[in-house]
Amino acid sequence: MHRLFPEKLVNIITSDHLEDTLVRVVRRRGASGYTIVRARGAGSSGEQSGMLSVDTNIKMHIIMSEEKLEGLLDDLDSMIRRGYHLTVYVSDVSVLYPEKFESGF
Amino acid sequence: MSVLSNLLIPAVLFFALGFVARVIKSDLRFPQDLSKILSIYLLMAIGLHGGYELGKADLGLAFIAIIWALVLGFTLPVLGYLMLVATGRVDRMNAAAIAAHYGSVSAGTFLTAIAYLDNLSISYESYPVIMLAVMESPAIIVGLLLASWSRQRIAAQQSGGAAGVSLNLPGEDSSSSLKSLLHEAFTNGSVVLLIGSMLIGAVSAPGSMEKLFPFIDDIFMGFLCMFLFEMGMEAGRRIKEFKKVGPILVGFGIVMPLVGGLIGVAVGVWALGLSEGGATLVAVLAASASYIAVPPAMRLAVPESNPSFYLTLALGITFPFNVVIGIPLYHALVQQLMA
Repeated sequence: MHRLFPEKLVNIITSDHLEDTLVRVVRRRGASGYTIVRARGAGSSGEQSGMLSVDTNIKMHIIMSEEKLEGLLDDLDSMIRRGYHLTVYVSDVSVLYPEKFESGF
Repeated sequence: MSVLSNLLIPAVLFFALGFVARVIKSDLRFPQDLSKILSIYLLMAIGLHGGYELGKADLGLAFIAIIWALVLGFTLPVLGYLMLVATGRVDRMNAAAIAAHYGSVSAGTFLTAIAYLDNLSISYESYPVIMLAVMESPAIIVGLLLASWSRQRIAAQQSGGAAGVSLNLPGEDSSSSLKSLLHEAFTNGSVVLLIGSMLIGAVSAPGSMEKLFPFIDDIFMGFLCMFLFEMGMEAGRRIKEFKKVGPILVGFGIVMPLVGGLIGVAVGVWALGLSEGGATLVAVLAASASYIAVPPAMRLAVPESNPSFYLTLALGITFPFNVVIGIPLYHALVQQLMA
């Protein structure tokens, strides 16, 4: 049986035009890295078909410790209050090597 | 019936086919990146071609064309903003974001107009191509200014509601945020590609440019058909959003291109003294709404506005309107003025 360590997984779904901004925020809040996948779907911004560069979405995954999570959520919250369309949800995950998520990138 | 027969060209018909395919819920779909590849090709081809022609053209008139492109790019969004706010039904932030789209240009509409003119064997000058490149960015700046002005007004109205005045993203001060937005406006991919291709077309040795003609001329209409096919599907996809957008905005999506087209006809015929073809192209530039450069900038800078409004207007209403009704109309108007 492997030993597992708890971490938080932050998921953000938004327009791909916000990628650079989000990467800056994530880096500033000390995340060890991030993964972005291309996404499509529909919601408050209408259908995002992913066919044109103006309607492509991304889904961003960040794994980080609970201590760092609050800072990141502060920044995301202030973006949403400013009107940016972000879908943010956080889940508990277990990882094999917690030291991988300690230092920034 | 001559107007109708002028529309019976493959590019426009493929646009209609794409539209119909969506409306009848066909499972026809392009691979995800194809339309992005097609728009890169089209901007490259139109840039190279325009630059090559411009190398042989009168630089004085080119300069005047650039000035007029700037005038149109800066004034049309203000006009659109005032019209939208005057309806009393559109909030200021959405008005600013939507208006910015109408000061900028749609390369797809411009290229359709070129296909239309080619079909009628009407020649046109290369100056409108440089105007196409110049007009991408100014409207973004005007949109940002209108938005920040509106934001201040809204904050002033809601006393104590100072939140929302600043546009700073986490970790940025206001000057770096403005700088990054202006950087975004002028380094937008389509602007860089179009202006870069024009420079390459203008400075390259004519002999080496001729080798590119199969790429930029011979296969051009075929790729334009594919591009418009996809744009037709995008337009068809958006008609179900009409209800959400509402009759006022749908009406604006038709009235604004008419207003812009009229102004464009006047600029093309009187201010620039262009030929029938050239003036029609200027009218199309002034009438069209951007769906490449402006939406990402508005998403970043005016997050309070709803992307589904401006995308539905630009892609679902104004683009089809210009392709089917606008282009022949502006052309007829130019003919009237010149007769």
